[in-house]
Amino acid sequence: MLELRGLSKHFGGVRAVDGLDVTVERGQIFGLIGPNGSGKSTTVNLVCGVFPVTAGSVSFEGAEITNSPPHVALGNGIARTFQNIRLFSELTVWQNLWVAQNGQESVRSQGFFSRWLSGNRGQRASVEEQLEFSGLADKRDEPAGSLAFGEQRRLELARALAARPKLLLLDEPAAGMNLEEVKQLDERLRWLNEQQGITILLVEHVMELVMGVTHRIAALNFGRKIAEGSPAEIQQNQAVQEAYLGRSEEEGDEGGGSS
Amino acid sequence: MEIEIFGWTLLDYFQTIVDGVLYGATYAIIGIGFTLIFGVMDKLNLAYAATALAGAYFSWGVGTQIPLPAPVAYVISSIAAGGFGYLVYLCNFRYIPSGAPLASLLATVGMLLFLEELIVHSTQGMPQPYPALFDDVMLEWGDFGMRGDLLFVFCLCVLATVFLLYVLYRTKLGMATRAVAQQPVAAQLCGMSVQGTNSTTFVIAGAIGGIAGAMIGASVGILSPLLTVPVTVKGLIAAVIGGLGSIPGAIVGGLLIGAFENTFQLLRSVTERDMYVMLLLFAFLAFRPGGIFGTASRHE
Repeated sequence: MLELRGLSKHFGGVRAVDGLDVTVERGQIFGLIGPNGSGKSTTVNLVCGVFPVTAGSVSFEGAEITNSPPHVALGNGIARTFQNIRLFSELTVWQNLWVAQNGQESVRSQGFFSRWLSGNRGQRASVEEQLEFSGLADKRDEPAGSLAFGEQRRLELARALAARPKLLLLDEPAAGMNLEEVKQLDERLRWLNEQQGITILLVEHVMELVMGVTHRIAALNFGRKIAEGSPAEIQQNQAVQEAYLGRSEEEGDEGGGSS
Repeated sequence: MEIEIFGWTLLDYFQTIVDGVLYGATYAIIGIGFTLIFGVMDKLNLAYAATALAGAYFSWGVGTQIPLPAPVAYVISSIAAGGFGYLVYLCNFRYIPSGAPLASLLATVGMLLFLEELIVHSTQGMPQPYPALFDDVMLEWGDFGMRGDLLFVFCLCVLATVFLLYVLYRTKLGMATRAVAQQPVAAQLCGMSVQGTNSTTFVIAGAIGGIAGAMIGASVGILSPLLTVPVTVKGLIAAVIGGLGSIPGAIVGGLLIGAFENTFQLLRSVTERDMYVMLLLFAFLAFRPGGIFGTASRHE
């Protein structure tokens, strides 16, 4: 469904992402792990067109979308959340979801007035659905900026879902969550994947979540892929362990890729 | 026995202030336009008041070819000013890198002068008659009276403002505009095009500016090429007094300037009044730089 071929992004001399090949199959929850600065977030930003790529290509459902502007990526059916939450903090919870709806393909094909005025009953009903699902129904008229941290995270996920994406990019959704919240998130992601058929690319540090929920994982270090496989395989993988724990002197350079 | 202050009775002052507030509605709209564009793009569009007046001049130009009833002229003014607003966006913002705010600012100064020259050229520098509505109506309560045309100007400006607030706070378009202003990257990833909402903001701000431009002509009965700079300055002052970025602030600021300048016109003369308006701006910049509703003063 999503294919990255030789994807590279260099910031000056820093190779944030360096020749990355990743294929995410439809219906998968695909995990992207790696130490800080290994290029995970940059990869997400390249997929949705926030930065131009230095080299390589991104294709989605067989069509090349390399360097298409962000609002176009969304039109193709890709939505995302941010590592550092980026809500429209002066709009209310309800309004945050309502504007995000315009990413939907069915809404985008409508005329100017039905897209940009008050919308129809069906659109309003689907906002209610998202409110219900995220458990924020009782906070609907509060400004997003006044929500608690965990609620802001849930709202951001709901906002991404409001666009009815086929592929959801989640950039560290569990950061700063306690164990109970991580468990809820785990269930939520499974439900989205199994019941709603949404393919998910999950960038995450919290291993309880990644190892439990994903079907397949790619591990990055210094912008390169050092391993790929099932959660069990990744847990056993020596290169991954070294990348996380630091490499001892005597061992070989199997886990290399440092540039 | 009547109490007199500087030779005028309290009723005279009341009359003057009410007239000033009614006319101040046009400044309020120009102030809203400045504030709106600043709020969305974080940049000043100094050509805004000039586009508003250019809209009014456009409808005057059409009126010289085909006689227009006043309401039609106002609608044409609004549409034309919306179009001019879009042109200003294309020329001064769209292709100038967003990281160069000074370039856009100076480009809008150029646009202001260009539009002013265009107006002077097309009218040979002469004031031109502009149609008014209800200019023969006078509502009277004893010695106090309200000019029908000014009352109409005020009501139409209020309507235009209510329309703008409705669009901004009740429609998806308005939400999108505010979303882009708050979080450009996230807004794009929610399917909103930054260029699309920015250009729409210029068109909508321009369209309500066109109403203000027409009303400035209608309340005096003439359009003069000497209006561009003073209207620009007073609209800016309204926006600054209210706090740049605050729409309620611009409304209060505009009405305040209307009352203030009319009072000084009564006390001194029409040629002197604008100096006092400038002094009001200095006073605000010195003592309350964030304006009435602004936040800048907190950062001192």
